[in-house]
Amino acid sequence: MQEEERLIVDNERCKTGIDELDIQLGGGIPTGSTVLMVGSSGSGKTTLCMQFLINGAQQGERGVFFTITEPLFKLTKNMEGFSFYDKKLVESGMVNLIDLRIISERLGLDTEKYTAEDASALLDILRDIADELNVKRLVIDSITALCYRLQTPEMIRDFIFKLGSSLAAMKCTTLLTSEVPPMTFQYSQYGIEEFISDGIMFLGDLERKGDLIRTFQIVKMRGAAHSRTKSAMSISSKSGVELAPLLKSRE
Amino acid sequence: MAKDEFISTGIDKLDKLLEGGTPRGFSVLILGTPGSSVEILCKQLATVGKVLYFTTEETEDEILNTISRFGWDKSNIKIVDIASEYSKAVLSSEEKRISVYKQRSKIKLKELIEIGSSGLPPTQKGAEDFLAVLSNKLKSAKYEKIIINSLDFFLSQYRQEEVIRTVHAAKISNLENKGVLFIIMTRGIHGDIFERKMEGIADCVLELEVLQKGSAFERFLAVKKMKNYAKKIGIARYIIDSDGFVLEMIERIM
Amino acid sequence: MANVLIDGLKERISNAIKINQSIGIMLPGSNYSDLVQALFEYINSKPEEAWVYVTVTKPYGTLVKQYEYLLEAKNIKFIDCISRAAGILRSDSNCIYLESPSMLEKLGLEIMNIFKEVDEDTEKFLVIDSLSNLIIYNDAEIVTEFFYHIVNRTRAKDIHTISLAIEEEGLEKHLNRLIYLNDKILKVRDSFI
Repeated sequence: MQEEERLIVDNERCKTGIDELDIQLGGGIPTGSTVLMVGSSGSGKTTLCMQFLINGAQQGERGVFFTITEPLFKLTKNMEGFSFYDKKLVESGMVNLIDLRIISERLGLDTEKYTAEDASALLDILRDIADELNVKRLVIDSITALCYRLQTPEMIRDFIFKLGSSLAAMKCTTLLTSEVPPMTFQYSQYGIEEFISDGIMFLGDLERKGDLIRTFQIVKMRGAAHSRTKSAMSISSKSGVELAPLLKSRE
Repeated sequence: MAKDEFISTGIDKLDKLLEGGTPRGFSVLILGTPGSSVEILCKQLATVGKVLYFTTEETEDEILNTISRFGWDKSNIKIVDIASEYSKAVLSSEEKRISVYKQRSKIKLKELIEIGSSGLPPTQKGAEDFLAVLSNKLKSAKYEKIIINSLDFFLSQYRQEEVIRTVHAAKISNLENKGVLFIIMTRGIHGDIFERKMEGIADCVLELEVLQKGSAFERFLAVKKMKNYAKKIGIARYIIDSDGFVLEMIERIM
Repeated sequence: MANVLIDGLKERISNAIKINQSIGIMLPGSNYSDLVQALFEYINSKPEEAWVYVTVTKPYGTLVKQYEYLLEAKNIKFIDCISRAAGILRSDSNCIYLESPSMLEKLGLEIMNIFKEVDEDTEKFLVIDSLSNLIIYNDAEIVTEFFYHIVNRTRAKDIHTISLAIEEEGLEKHLNRLIYLNDKILKVRDSFI
């Protein structure tokens, strides 16, 4: 915690590379924070996270993307459709893509079910990998899928708190994706993920004249005077994720 | 000619009851009940002819020991020990759990990173697919007798439709091989409809029954179905002595 | 006669845009095609400038069929808000297709993204054709808000805007409010020549 305070005093910011978002954050995510990226499937969480990593890499900050929902070939295939996705950064090891399922299988873990020990072993590894690679930016996609493999609410609770303290001890800025059903206003599947995060960003939908408009909102960001307004979000192959002021329609 | 047409069951009186043995290419369903000693019948069936024996409850050693005890020939039996494989699989999955940390210390972090970032997703490799083992072995089998003791195991692990499909395939390949397929199943635990289906698939249905008569138990072996041999249907009382199954009194129904 | 009319329109547009950041053009529906013709001819005569043309009125495909020189034009990019919603699927290097005319935020982003790629020294112009049609697909309030944003953002980036408004009964109240955000209003009348 102390570490974090210091960083904020230093006013170190981790730029997401999405201009409007950095403006809303007052420069970027406070370095060292853990941010929960909440949204339903297809809401753009993965794209946003990847953009965050690629952008960091371009500024010389190494990053790692742990996937547990999507196999790597599928992830890279999707990402290659975006012009921001610079394959060279992956090839050069500035952005590392790691399939957690392969890791856990290699450790002899039943890939669909984790015990409490499994989960904490996996956490250790996650931390070791982040240390070994000396990453400044870390993404776990998704925390929901990780928790899904735990059997009881108590185990999930324990795991999330352990994850929180591990992440707090690390010096990197972390994005955790959290999957929620569409058109809901909860921030997490298990109701506790938000407590370990310093920030929450919510990716939602808004219906206007029968069209679904993507929305984005910073719900919380410790250590940053941030905007709380809801923005419209666009995802395009050319520009990736972009934000624009949301026009207030009379609903 | 008769010798070619039928395969001896290995039990004198049962051959008599069946008037020569089991016709080649037949699939025989044996319905047992607890206490009927159907497992002894299985082993006795296995003592005559070239036999492939699938065992799901007893291990290979247990079977061979029992056969030795009765003094039967065991030189022609090939045993597929699913019971041992299954318990090994269960045990090793338990073991794996304990050794995550051990495993972790064995793998270099760099290696792990490399595997995680280059490898393909793990194929869903759960426990071994025993039904696949069964159907693969059956397909390639060139045996006079194939014994599956018992179908209960597969029914506890797989859906009934999958099991039925495998049994169907087994029946066809047995027909081509001109052997005899014995399938053992406990009566009354898999549902009436499933039992009827199985009886429908089988060319011959044998049923073992235990009835209480006063203070004693009497055991009966009934030939419930004999495709294309209507007159062979009958029932016999049996006892088990040091020679195995002994059929005592044969009653013809037709 | 038509040429005289179109030349007259071109001259008025040319004069107005030279001295004003933004102009609004109000016109009756019957003059619409003349005005568009004048506008395209004017744009075509300015190859050194950068134009973005937002169409909510006619699909890009229809426009380029009518004015073939637009296909080759290097100084104009289109944003077509209606083809996709009408089920027309085509892709053109000169045109961005928006999923729906109600995706106003996306429209704003696309406009600014195109201008981002233009040299700073190049003179930049935006045409919105038309405010009245945006109101058909959206609530008037939201179009007003959108237009405020656009006017402010284009001013900040020194981009000239030309917004068309076709006079229609029932819409006057809203259109008047919108059009007066511009520095200069041109009213096209049948009788003006």
